[in-house]
Amino acid sequence: MSWLPERAEGASALDRVFGLRPDLYEPFRAFYATFWTHDLLDPIVLELCRLRVAQLLRCQSEQQVRYEPALQAGLTEEQVTQLAQWPTAPMFSPAQRAALGFAEQFVIDVEGIDATLRDTVVDHFTVAGLVALCEALALFDGFCRFRSILGVDDDPTSGVIVVPGPTPTDGLR
Amino acid sequence: MSTGRHPIPGDVLDLQPEATAAFWRLYGTLWSHGTVDQPTKEIARLRNARTTGCRYCQNVRFDGARQAGLTEDRVELIADEFETSDLSPAEKTVIRFVDSFLADPHGLTDEQRRELLEHFDAGQLVELTVGVALFMGFSKIAVALGPPPDMPTLVVPTPDWPPVTADQP
Repeated sequence: MSWLPERAEGASALDRVFGLRPDLYEPFRAFYATFWTHDLLDPIVLELCRLRVAQLLRCQSEQQVRYEPALQAGLTEEQVTQLAQWPTAPMFSPAQRAALGFAEQFVIDVEGIDATLRDTVVDHFTVAGLVALCEALALFDGFCRFRSILGVDDDPTSGVIVVPGPTPTDGLR
Repeated sequence: MSTGRHPIPGDVLDLQPEATAAFWRLYGTLWSHGTVDQPTKEIARLRNARTTGCRYCQNVRFDGARQAGLTEDRVELIADEFETSDLSPAEKTVIRFVDSFLADPHGLTDEQRRELLEHFDAGQLVELTVGVALFMGFSKIAVALGPPPDMPTLVVPTPDWPPVTADQP
């Protein structure tokens, strides 16, 4: 339960907190949905990075969500289970490892990202893909922290929740 | 910006026009149509820039905050010694909040929550937190894509939505 003294209407804890400012929640959802609706990145890579950022930041509510586009593209629960072991676990591709290595450095120590790490991502995803990855990571990192610091994360539902890909109009879990 | 095998162009965000346009819509709304005053958001943005190490963000000033009284002398107070500075109690509360957001967002204390609620209502705290999330995320992008050329302190138009100047995408 969030420590904020007011709640908006909504189906999820995020809806009830972020919905206190619909003037900001609506353009946020539009921005967030862009990564799925415009296929800016491979949906499995996007989901692996989202979940790894959530693990690093101990964001329970984000870790419980699975977006359908990633599952439909072939993401397995075994990959999610092994996500912390991505450098050595055999079920991750070189492209997925490049993105996950970049994502970890982005969250933990962004100043440690050097040209070699950027080049490794570009080799697999192009420069435009690197930009999409950076923008997605900025959202995942920033809004996991948003959930944690405002207490959105204090009332997680139990178990894994499979939901459709984000859209500009639907609430977020 | 990159010294690697793949050059990173200066206008690199233009490579993702849909996402970047969506970002500016959110960012412009936050800055110019919010209920938290612009100097408060600028203090949060500059505190983040300092901690995250984004040289670009450190050197930019939004003119709305400047016109509302956040002079360069006051910007200099957003430093390690801010607790003993002439910044207001609300401004110091915001800096502590930004520091918690960046270092350990699970570690916000009951005292910090009480102080925040003394100065801001719930909707304003959502706005402030959206701001800090975007400030951090996009300053990290600037750092991740490589350092920009050295630049002087630069006063630029405050982001707005719809854009009101040719300087803003």
